[in-house]
Amino acid sequence: MENKPPLSPHIQIYKWHISSLVSISHRITGIINIIAISFVCLLASLLVFGESNYEFINLFLVSLIGKFFILGLTWSFSFQILSEIRHIIMDLGYGFELRTAKITGLIVIFGSIILTIAFYLIGKNFF
Amino acid sequence: MVQINLPENSKVKQGKYFKDLTGSKNLRKVNVYRWDPSSGENPRIDTYEVDMDNCPSKVLDILNKIKNEIDPTLAYRRSCAHGVCGSCAMNIGGKNSLACTTPHAEIEGDINIYPLPHLKVKKDLIGDLDGLYKQYQSIEPWLKSNSKSETKEIIQSKEDRAKLDGAYECIMCACCSTSCPSYWWNGDKYLGPAVLLQAYRWIIDSRDEERTARLKKVADELKLYRCHTILNCTSACPKGLNPAKAIAEIKKMLATANI
Repeated sequence: MENKPPLSPHIQIYKWHISSLVSISHRITGIINIIAISFVCLLASLLVFGESNYEFINLFLVSLIGKFFILGLTWSFSFQILSEIRHIIMDLGYGFELRTAKITGLIVIFGSIILTIAFYLIGKNFF
Repeated sequence: MVQINLPENSKVKQGKYFKDLTGSKNLRKVNVYRWDPSSGENPRIDTYEVDMDNCPSKVLDILNKIKNEIDPTLAYRRSCAHGVCGSCAMNIGGKNSLACTTPHAEIEGDINIYPLPHLKVKKDLIGDLDGLYKQYQSIEPWLKSNSKSETKEIIQSKEDRAKLDGAYECIMCACCSTSCPSYWWNGDKYLGPAVLLQAYRWIIDSRDEERTARLKKVADELKLYRCHTILNCTSACPKGLNPAKAIAEIKKMLATANI
């Protein structure tokens, strides 16, 4: 009797490389940004309803979770922007050679970390 | 649809272990995906200890050695053994490539060999590529010329001929298409890198007169635009071609053409 053919393993076994990592991170940070920025807008619109809300927002932003939230959003936003620039360049038909794609991918990954640190230091009035 | 987990009948189990009988000191473990259509069991991973002192340099040589000397029940496709026919495309060490052109010295640790990803398995390392061939047929990969005489040669300039470089060399081994996550999730509609590279090859051929019709045909949300420049295709291509760039070029043509 013929048996139902199985599906060969795919994402479980396939090796990751810089371009595929940047591509999936682009999607994940995109979803994070939608949720996180909507949340920021919600916080900002709370201000309309009076002074007392300011206290609440301030309390959130100086808390450990709040700080993690701000830094996380700074990183995911930086990543998204840099990756989007990479996508635009690719839409113009450039940067498809494996070496170039790897370099631009690394620029996106490390650039987003550097930008996050830079924003943090700007926030601390470091410069 | 995105389905990360394998279906129940596709879950891979631990299989048999074939100990070395030659007494060689230079052994390598080779893990091979096995599925026997007549057994009714799930796929399994069989492990072979292979004597590397008496094995030529390529991964296909290992498979031949296993089949000839250790386990004749192993099934895989191969023909030319020189990277021209594209039969022995499989997933080696987590990356799609041709077994006949991949040196086993380049792989660190145990050698893992699977069939091409996200295909219906026919037996062991043989995947079902019918869907891909149907899609290839759908782009009508032949020259279409209505006005010119059928008996006269259609002249092509050297410059126009040079445009086909990097597109005509494709051997349709399916390494690229089956490496593409977009093709895994939408393989029924998205044409995939291999077929789109061929679509591109006919779109840019100066002798072809159906350019607009061809462009129209691929200008569909799912047929073309599922490419998200993951570049698994380009990094997998054993002939060093760049399907991702070809897809980007088609996108550019569509953006600028008045269709």
